Amino acid sequence: MAAPTSLPGPGSGPAGARPAARWIAFFQAMLGISIFFLSWFLLVDVFAVWRFAQLPKLSVSLREMFSPDPTFGVSVFTKEYYDHLQASAGRVVFAFLIAVSAGVVIGILSGWNRWFRAVCQPLLELARPIPVLAWIPLVILVMPSRESAVIALTFLAAFFITILNTMLGVRSIDEVYFRAAQSLGFSRWAILRHVVIPGALPFIFVGLQIAMAACWFSLVASEIVSGTAGLGYKVWEAYYYVQFETMVIMILTLGICGYISSAIIRRLGAYLMRWRGKTLGGVA
Amino acid sequence: MKSLATAASAPSATPAERGVPLSAGIRKYVHRHFDLVVGAATLIAFFLAWQFARPLGIPGLSAVEPPTKVVAASWDLLSSATFWTACYKSVLRILAGFALAQIIGVPIGLMMATNRMAFHTIFPVTEILRPIPPVAWIPVAIIFWPTREMSTVFIVFLGAFWIVLLNTIGGASTIDESYRRAALSLGSNRWHLFRYIVLPATMPSIVTGMVVGMGISWEMVVAAEMIASDTGLGYLLWQSFEINAGAQVIVCMLAIGIAGFVSSALIGRVGRLLTPWQGRR
Amino acid sequence: MSRGALSFRAVRKVYDPEGKAVLALDGVDLDIAPGEFCAIVGPSGCGKTTLLNAVAGFETLTAGAIQLDGRTIATPDASAAPGEDRIVVFQNGALFPWRSVMWNITCGPVMQGRMSEREAREHGLKLLARVGLKGCEDKYPNDLSGGQKRRVEIVRALINDPAVLLLDEPFRALDALTKSVMQEYLLELLVQFPKTVFFITHDLEEALFLGDKVVVFTSRPGRIKEVVSVDIPKPRSHEVLTSPRFLELKAALSAVVHTEAMRAFEAGEKEMAR
Repeated sequence: MAAPTSLPGPGSGPAGARPAARWIAFFQAMLGISIFFLSWFLLVDVFAVWRFAQLPKLSVSLREMFSPDPTFGVSVFTKEYYDHLQASAGRVVFAFLIAVSAGVVIGILSGWNRWFRAVCQPLLELARPIPVLAWIPLVILVMPSRESAVIALTFLAAFFITILNTMLGVRSIDEVYFRAAQSLGFSRWAILRHVVIPGALPFIFVGLQIAMAACWFSLVASEIVSGTAGLGYKVWEAYYYVQFETMVIMILTLGICGYISSAIIRRLGAYLMRWRGKTLGGVA
Repeated sequence: MKSLATAASAPSATPAERGVPLSAGIRKYVHRHFDLVVGAATLIAFFLAWQFARPLGIPGLSAVEPPTKVVAASWDLLSSATFWTACYKSVLRILAGFALAQIIGVPIGLMMATNRMAFHTIFPVTEILRPIPPVAWIPVAIIFWPTREMSTVFIVFLGAFWIVLLNTIGGASTIDESYRRAALSLGSNRWHLFRYIVLPATMPSIVTGMVVGMGISWEMVVAAEMIASDTGLGYLLWQSFEINAGAQVIVCMLAIGIAGFVSSALIGRVGRLLTPWQGRR
Repeated sequence: MSRGALSFRAVRKVYDPEGKAVLALDGVDLDIAPGEFCAIVGPSGCGKTTLLNAVAGFETLTAGAIQLDGRTIATPDASAAPGEDRIVVFQNGALFPWRSVMWNITCGPVMQGRMSEREAREHGLKLLARVGLKGCEDKYPNDLSGGQKRRVEIVRALINDPAVLLLDEPFRALDALTKSVMQEYLLELLVQFPKTVFFITHDLEEALFLGDKVVVFTSRPGRIKEVVSVDIPKPRSHEVLTSPRFLELKAALSAVVHTEAMRAFEAGEKEMAR
């Protein structure tokens, strides 16, 4: 189940090489994006066809988003916008970092140590098929506060995925590297540091990409049902009070956050895995 | 070096040990079924800790109803019509959303992978929309679709759609060029190429997309039912929480887990039927 | 040269996956003298690699013993852990792709504490220059060609000064031209750093060109069918390949190998049909 690290489009190799082809691709991208926004504008703002009439208008949403004095109190020039952004981003960063450090350690230990695997595997198998969002009520019951419940749910989403991919990563390492290390006289610690960790890194980073997306996903759901602030909470509140333009602003912000956070992981992965060279990671 | 060598041979039983048949037998069994024995011990320890969390004062766990209560609650719930109706509703929504994701996602993916113009035009738009967590679309779906049922199905569809699309594009655009050339030199036309090269060569990726997409479908149906519906397993879960029925919360969680597990297994089966040439993993 | 005498005594190996006993090696008796280049030839699945793995410490024996310089390194009860006195160069290569060429070369002696990092680096640079890889030390293995990787791997083995060098079809994945160049590199290196070599190959010509002694194995179960000492003086260059003596040896050996290959092929067909 090797997820593609970068998506090669049809004939991406030569197209990426020639500057002319790159310009054409750029204009096509602009064309595609324009068509998307134009259809939003025409369907909702101009003709108000069918149910599209209910949706927030593109022009009004944009005006609200960049207005210094927004109708519903939230735009990129208001403090409230940044308060929600900070609340959500803070939770994701915090939960993600804890989940990843714990998940990678557990994943490597259980991919490597027989005892550890035998203990962890059954508990993991018990918990894994349950969708993260189905944990929401239980986590709220167990955790002392609503805030800690939201963080715990965001954590859970990334935790399982990281463990699983790290374990897969350790198991994907060719036996031959362990043998080479043994005959070169590596200590157990050296094998861990120079064979297990770098060898599992490609899978770990595929896992981190998925885990980051899962974090935002789980965060929004938990903020909706039990949050008191944050982008997800505000999406729902804006819907509830029929402030649809604010809702659009928040959804767009969530998209941007998701994009930036996954781009950071992609960059970091490409940097840490320079050794994959031209043969693999070069196009990413 | 010498000491290492003897240590390596330690687990094999020496003749002296065979004098005590019972303990040696047990040791041999443990040695051979190590994972099973340790795993079972772990699970037993876990359930005991859970059961006696309150008297023992284990933080966190003591807020959860003990296993005995959960078993009792599951009897009640499994014999009620409410539960089975909820199951039925959720499964229908999953089937509808999942099927739509395949029907729409696979052809678009194939088109994007085989047509450069389509790829460069559509892909950037998906890059903009994809990072938005599907849960955030729930209010938009409620506003847009005339009924709650439709919006739930739409959310399930949306969750699975991206994964289906990405896997189809990934699979179809990495087909080895030599297959295409071999087919052309054997006199294939465009339809033959599609039917006998592109489609089967993409099938393993489509199957991967189906398996992952099914997992996401369950996430989405739980979210949508919890937030914006008054039927289904997700709703039942949330309602159990609201009426403070702790044991029932766990039963619902487990039911959702089992349903997700079974549907993944079924999809895996279907996947093997669709790709009989793939070796068993 | 007193290190590197390798001897096999009645070596036997039975694999037992899922209760179906498969006899891989049977009654292998063989002596390899210090500094001797011993090439092993035989059909696929004849247990050549199993034998190499037993020397390296990756497999245990079912019966018999293997000795290195009088020290028993493998018996059915115990086998010495893999170590730097018996370095393996693997079939598909095992350079750590995530570390630089220089790191790969120097990791052995540095980790064993035999050289400081600086010493190892200097030594490594000298060796790299000798195999024509000057300036490659900071590249990653994936940036090298197949032949370059193989040279780095041989250097990595040699820098550890092993008693015996275990080469498991090291040139298999290379094209014919690169292969012949690599063979000459290897012979040249061995002149400078004489080592006992245990060399597995499918290629009869390669075995005869490199080996002081060629051992032919039967198809499964692997037994020694014939041992031929190659009386062509070293150093050898590729002109040897067309010398009358070489062709004579090749003709004699290829008949033997072909019979075994046919037997292995038929056994394989039968297994597939089952």
